Amino acid sequence: MAVCVAVIGKDNSPLYIGGIGNDTSTDNELSRQWLVHTALDALEERLASTNTNNTGANTNAARTDLRDLYLGLLYSTDTHKIYGYVTNTRIKLVLVTSSTSPSGSNIRDAEVRTALRRLHALYADAICNPFHLPGDQITSLKFDKQVKNIMLNNV
Amino acid sequence: MADDIVFELLHSEIINYALDQSKDNNNDKKEVDLSVVEYIGFAAGYKIMERLTREWPRFKDELDTMKFICTDFWTCIYKKQIDNLRTNHQGVYVLQDNAFRFLTNFSNGHQYLEFAPRYVAYTCGLIRGGLANLCINSVVTAEVQSMPSCKFHIHVQRT
Repeated sequence: MAVCVAVIGKDNSPLYIGGIGNDTSTDNELSRQWLVHTALDALEERLASTNTNNTGANTNAARTDLRDLYLGLLYSTDTHKIYGYVTNTRIKLVLVTSSTSPSGSNIRDAEVRTALRRLHALYADAICNPFHLPGDQITSLKFDKQVKNIMLNNV
Repeated sequence: MADDIVFELLHSEIINYALDQSKDNNNDKKEVDLSVVEYIGFAAGYKIMERLTREWPRFKDELDTMKFICTDFWTCIYKKQIDNLRTNHQGVYVLQDNAFRFLTNFSNGHQYLEFAPRYVAYTCGLIRGGLANLCINSVVTAEVQSMPSCKFHIHVQRT
């Protein structure tokens, strides 16, 4: 379902960007990074509105639980939809689905939520790897494999 | 329980090891270097926080985070909650544990009081690491006045 998944650190540095499907060629490596990075502004906007939620009068009824880690659909382009998730430790997880492929276009919000929660669990495991230093890129092959599984399994 | 004691024994052995190391490194007997132990605590706290906060809704503010430290974080590591939390609402928090796990095995009098600070260094690091991962930079110090109880002072560093 997902064509790209990214883990972004506290300081907005990419910790992991992985992609599968039609987007795996090196040309698309750049477009993946671009997609993920454009999502960061939207993410921070959401977080800021979460924090100043009680002062601002614009009560968004659609956003029911503002303290939820899952932030939902950030924005969509012609070809992709971008979902965000920010952990309590300010790690940003971004999931990109393709709107053109049949599996990606009619994806349900709950599915994305589950996928991102599973990704968070994987990230928590990867962090506990003693060979991983906090703030470094995640190079673990196991993590890579499991993330690819998440992206494929949810078709 | 037998499996709980393993952690305590490992902890005390690590402290003995660190003391031996620091004794080898500088011959000045007065200085005890426990920064290694503090760092071990920091790394552990940093990593465990990612796991513990996974199912938790986003924290509202700093006090909310501290409450989490006092309840869930403490329960996970020390099998009990912090007994008293005080704050001046300006970045200083005092956490009091009336029966601190690493000190409960000692006699209650003054016999080992001078050695008690060694056994709180790891926990100071643990708290500091946990808070660091939640984007709160802090300095954590501990104070042992009477034996099984211990106070942790958290000074949040504002930028």
